[in-house]
Amino acid sequence: MEDFFVGVDIGSLTAKVVLVDAQGQALAWAVDRSGYSGRDVAQRLTQEILEEKGIKVEQIKVTVATGYGRVTYPAEREVSEITCQAKGIAHFFPGARTVIDIGGQDSKVIKVLPGGKVIDFAMNDKCAAGTGRFLEVMAGALEVSLEEVGALAVKAEEHKAISSFCTVFAESEVISHVSAGALKPDILAGVCDSVAARVSALVERVGLEPDVVFTGGVAKNAGVAKALSEQIGYPLLIPENPQITAALGAALLAWGMG
Amino acid sequence: MVEGKKYRQFRVNKHLKRLMAKHYALGRYQRYWGRPLHRKLAWITSGAPVELLRAFKIYSVYPEQYGAICSTAKATEKLCQAAEAAGYSQDLCSYARSHIGSILRPDLAPMQGLPKPDLLVACNNICGTVLKWYEALAHLLKVPLLVLDTPYLPGELTEHAHQYVLEQLQNMVRQLENLTGRKLDMQDLKRQMARSAEMTKFWREIRELAQAHPSPLNGPDLFIQMAPIVAVRGSQEGIDYYRKLKAETEERVRRGEGAILEEKTRLVWDNIAIWPKLFNFTKMFTERGACFVTDTYSGGWAAELASGDPLESLAATYTNIFLNRSPEFRARQMIELVEAYEADGFVMHSNRSCKPYSLVQEVIRRRVMEKTGVPGLMVEADMADPRAYAEESVRTRVEAFLETLQAL
Ligand code: SF4
Repeated sequence: MEDFFVGVDIGSLTAKVVLVDAQGQALAWAVDRSGYSGRDVAQRLTQEILEEKGIKVEQIKVTVATGYGRVTYPAEREVSEITCQAKGIAHFFPGARTVIDIGGQDSKVIKVLPGGKVIDFAMNDKCAAGTGRFLEVMAGALEVSLEEVGALAVKAEEHKAISSFCTVFAESEVISHVSAGALKPDILAGVCDSVAARVSALVERVGLEPDVVFTGGVAKNAGVAKALSEQIGYPLLIPENPQITAALGAALLAWGMG
Repeated sequence: MVEGKKYRQFRVNKHLKRLMAKHYALGRYQRYWGRPLHRKLAWITSGAPVELLRAFKIYSVYPEQYGAICSTAKATEKLCQAAEAAGYSQDLCSYARSHIGSILRPDLAPMQGLPKPDLLVACNNICGTVLKWYEALAHLLKVPLLVLDTPYLPGELTEHAHQYVLEQLQNMVRQLENLTGRKLDMQDLKRQMARSAEMTKFWREIRELAQAHPSPLNGPDLFIQMAPIVAVRGSQEGIDYYRKLKAETEERVRRGEGAILEEKTRLVWDNIAIWPKLFNFTKMFTERGACFVTDTYSGGWAAELASGDPLESLAATYTNIFLNRSPEFRARQMIELVEAYEADGFVMHSNRSCKPYSLVQEVIRRRVMEKTGVPGLMVEADMADPRAYAEESVRTRVEAFLETLQAL
C-alpha cells in the first residue's frame, strides 16, 4: 500500500488541505471557508479528497497542521505557517528570497534561503490594516464583492488616497469619497495602495532581496499586487494557487518526516 | 525539583519572599514611626540616586516595582481602567497608569496601594514619562517633588553633562537637608555607596554564572531575583540574600544543573518582562528546550558605580544608565551578551508601554543580527497590561522563530 502525506492549513478565513504522494508530488487539494470550526471543515475536506482519490485513512502516514487552527487539529506535528509558507514557496520558486504573504487576518514577510529555510520574518497581526480583513470591510462599504476589488482597482484613472490605517477611520474616508462623487475603481485603488503601504513597511524591516513572491489569499487581488510591486520596486512572482502554498509546505514537511 | 517541564526552583526563594514582604511592611510602618523619628518616606523612580536618600534616612519605595506586583497579582487591568476613566491616556506607560489607578482606587490595589509618601524623587535617565507621572503624583498627593535631569547621551558622558548633573545633586542635597532637618553625612553616604557597590557586584557575578552550559538561570529567575537589587539596593539584607543566591547558583553550575530540564537553545532577552504572562510565555520556550540565559533589563542594575567623590560618582553612574544611551551603545551591549553567553538567538519584547526601551529595537535587532549572525525575534506585548497581549499571534512567532533555530 502506498503512503500519503497531508498538509492542513487552518486560517482565520479559510481552511486548506493538500495531499502529496510518496514521491512528494501534490495530488489534490481543497479549500473552503473555515467558518465556526476550522478543524471540522479541514477534516471534511481531507475526507473528501481521500474518497475522491480512493485512498484509505490508514495510508496517511504523517499529517502536519499549520495556521491559527493548528493547535486543535489532530496531526502528528504542528508547524508555524511561516515555516510552512517558506517551504511551499521554495517548491514553486526555488529562487525566492522574500515571501510576502497577505492573509485574511495577518500579513507577513519572510526572508528565506534556497531550499526554503527561514532566516527572518516580520508580521502584522495586531491590526487589520494591511490584511484581507481591511479589504473586506472597504469592499463592503462600496458594495462590491471581495473578488471584484482587484479587477476594479486596476482600472482606476486617479487613485483616491486613504490616509488612515485604522479600519474604522479608513471606512469613513471611503464613505466620504463616495459622497464626494468619486468613482469606485479610484477609491478601491486607494484602498489597495493603503494595504500595500502597510506591507511595504514590513518588507523594509526584514530587508528586500529578489526574487519576491507574493502569496496568500490577497495575492489573487490584482490591485494590491500592482500597488505592492510599484511600492517596493520589484516584479512579484505569484503562485497559480496562492491560497494553498502554506498547506502544500505543510504536506511537504510531512513527507520529509515520513 | 524539575517536575515535567517545569522549573528548577531556588531554595533561597523563601528568603526572597521574606525579604520583599519585610521591605513593603517596613514601608507601611514607616508611616507611623517615621514621623516621631523624623524619617521620611519617598516614592522614587528606578533610576533615582537612592544612596543619597538613604544617607538622609529616607525610606524609598518604587512605584515601578509596585506596577510589576500589580501585574503579577492580575490587578493591572482594573487599575488601568480606573486611571483611563479619570482621563489618563491608554498610550501612557502601564506602570504609571496602574499606579495612578491604585491611588484612585485603593480597594482594587494589592496591599491597598503603597504607603503615602512625604516626598517624590524622579530622575529622567530612564524615560520622560516619569516626569509627568510624578508631577501628577505631586499634584494628587500635595507633596514635594525633586527632579534630577540627566541629559541623553548620544556618545560618552561629557564633562559638561557630568557637571550639569553634579550641580543638580548638590542642589538636591540642600533640598533634602531642608526637608529632613538633617545635615548630609558624607561618611554615611560613602558607606551607603559601598554597600550598593557590593550588592551590585554580587548581582553581576550571579548573572555571569549563567555563562555556564547549561545555564543555571532562566529569564523568570533573572526577573524574580532582580527584585532586591531594585527595591533594597544598598541594604545589608540585600547583600546577605545575594550571597546565598550566589552560593546556590554556583552549586547548580558545579553539579551541571540547568534552570530548565534540557537546554538546547540559548537566548538573550531584551526589554522588561511580560509580567502578566511571565510563566505562560516562557513555557513556550522551555517546552522546546530554549533558555533565556541573560537579558538587558535585569542587567541594567548590574552596572558598576563610577569612580570619584560620592556626588561625582552618583552623577556619572545615574547618567550612564543604558536607557539614557544611544542605539549604538545598546546594540554593542546586545552583541557582547550574545557573544559572552554563547547565545543562539535573541528575543526582543516590543513593549507598548516603554517607548524609550522599544522604539529603537528594530535598528538594534538588524545590527545585532548582522554582527553576530544569530537571528532575533520581535514580540509585541506590554510589560503589565494584559490587554496588549495576543496569545495566538505571539505563539505563531515564537514557534516560527524556534523552528528556524532547531531542526524540525
Ligand atoms: S516608560 Fe518605561 S522606563 Fe518609563 S516608567 Fe514606564 S516602563 Fe519605566
